[in-house]
Amino acid sequence: MIQLIISLLVGAALLVFLYFFVRRSKPSAEGSAQQLREARQTLDSLQFGLLPNDLVHRIFAKEDLEYVLSSAPADVQSLFLSERKDIALGWVRRVRGAVLELMRFHRGHARLYAQLSPATETRLALNFAGLLALCRFLQVAVYLRGPYAAPGMVRTVAATAGRVCNISEQSLQFLKVKQLDPLKNTPSSHGASV
Amino acid sequence: MGIYIQTVWLGGLLIEGIILVRSVLGRSLAKYPFFYLYIASVFAASTARYVLEIVRPSLQHGIYWPKQYVTLFLGCGVIFEISRHVFAQRVTLDRIARWTMLVTFGAIFLSVAIQAFILPGWNVTANTADLERDLRIAQAIVLMTILVLSGYYKIGIGRNIKGMILGFGIYVGASVFSLTLRLFVGTRFERAFEVIPNTAYFLALAVWMVALWSYEAEPVEKLPSISGGEYQILAGRTQEILGSINDHLDRTVPR
Repeated sequence: MIQLIISLLVGAALLVFLYFFVRRSKPSAEGSAQQLREARQTLDSLQFGLLPNDLVHRIFAKEDLEYVLSSAPADVQSLFLSERKDIALGWVRRVRGAVLELMRFHRGHARLYAQLSPATETRLALNFAGLLALCRFLQVAVYLRGPYAAPGMVRTVAATAGRVCNISEQSLQFLKVKQLDPLKNTPSSHGASV
Repeated sequence: MGIYIQTVWLGGLLIEGIILVRSVLGRSLAKYPFFYLYIASVFAASTARYVLEIVRPSLQHGIYWPKQYVTLFLGCGVIFEISRHVFAQRVTLDRIARWTMLVTFGAIFLSVAIQAFILPGWNVTANTADLERDLRIAQAIVLMTILVLSGYYKIGIGRNIKGMILGFGIYVGASVFSLTLRLFVGTRFERAFEVIPNTAYFLALAVWMVALWSYEAEPVEKLPSISGGEYQILAGRTQEILGSINDHLDRTVPR
């Protein structure tokens, strides 16, 4: 029976993959120059798109909840919880968006490199997928039970995100910039000045 | 044999002939040698089977499984060719696809060898449908690997190879279904077992005829040099951003 299920799943999966393959849009004909331009824009949005650390700490701070619960009337408590929930959901959306952008960016420039490290790429892809799934779970948990219901999951998201970033950094080791030192960066050696 | 199967069979022979003629006229024969060898072998075997059915029907069934295995083996060559063309500019991805092929087919042949060694009554000729299903599953896995990798890295695929993948995928997917159901449902599924793969193969041939009507070179991307100045600046900034995201997540949520 297990054999039957596996075989039918493989057959069905292939047909689903073919469906998406047929629907796949053509890659941009503008080439790598355009991709590099887009990647730069992505980097800019990532660099300036993150919330200040203190602010995120504040979103999940239990002290605020304790204070409101102890000294505010019921309608203020409910308003507080509802607003914190919206803010927490906004934060998760933002982290998820940043991870997606990072993934697009990584894929975008990894595809330009002929020799990749299969192990690193696989680990990264799995971690990206895991992190995106966790963000979704977190969104659902916060939506259903509020921002104070899933602290464990928040920690897991943060830990996985940290792992993804570390692996990404490792995978980019081969690109370590040697000419960031402005004294060494001469137009004669690279064709352009930094 | 039903009138439907007869029609599909003859129609298939006609399309195979057209594909082979177009391969010469369109000058794509040398570009996709494994694929055209596959089509030529199916064409020759199907014609021989058709003639035998009229002249010596008793011999006709005897060549079914040998023909299936030869075309199955050549089908692997087609997948190899697809991978070679899709990942022509990506050495690592091509290597991953080949390794997947090696591991999946290796695992199947190893399991056949183990079964033949351990089980005294086990005979490969008595379990041909089993083996064909397993090999089709291996082909499906390799095709999926190619589809996933090319989709993930957004690799452009030309019309010829796109048609090759689509046609071959339809046939392999339908074969996996029909062989599996045949093995598990038994003779009740015999009629459908004839109809499903024949129809799927006819569909595949139609796709191949359209996609390979004329030769179209695979899109070639101008990959920037890894030491290119712009790319290095970009990479340096990426590392910087990765570090800042890491710090952000590290600091914002108490561990």
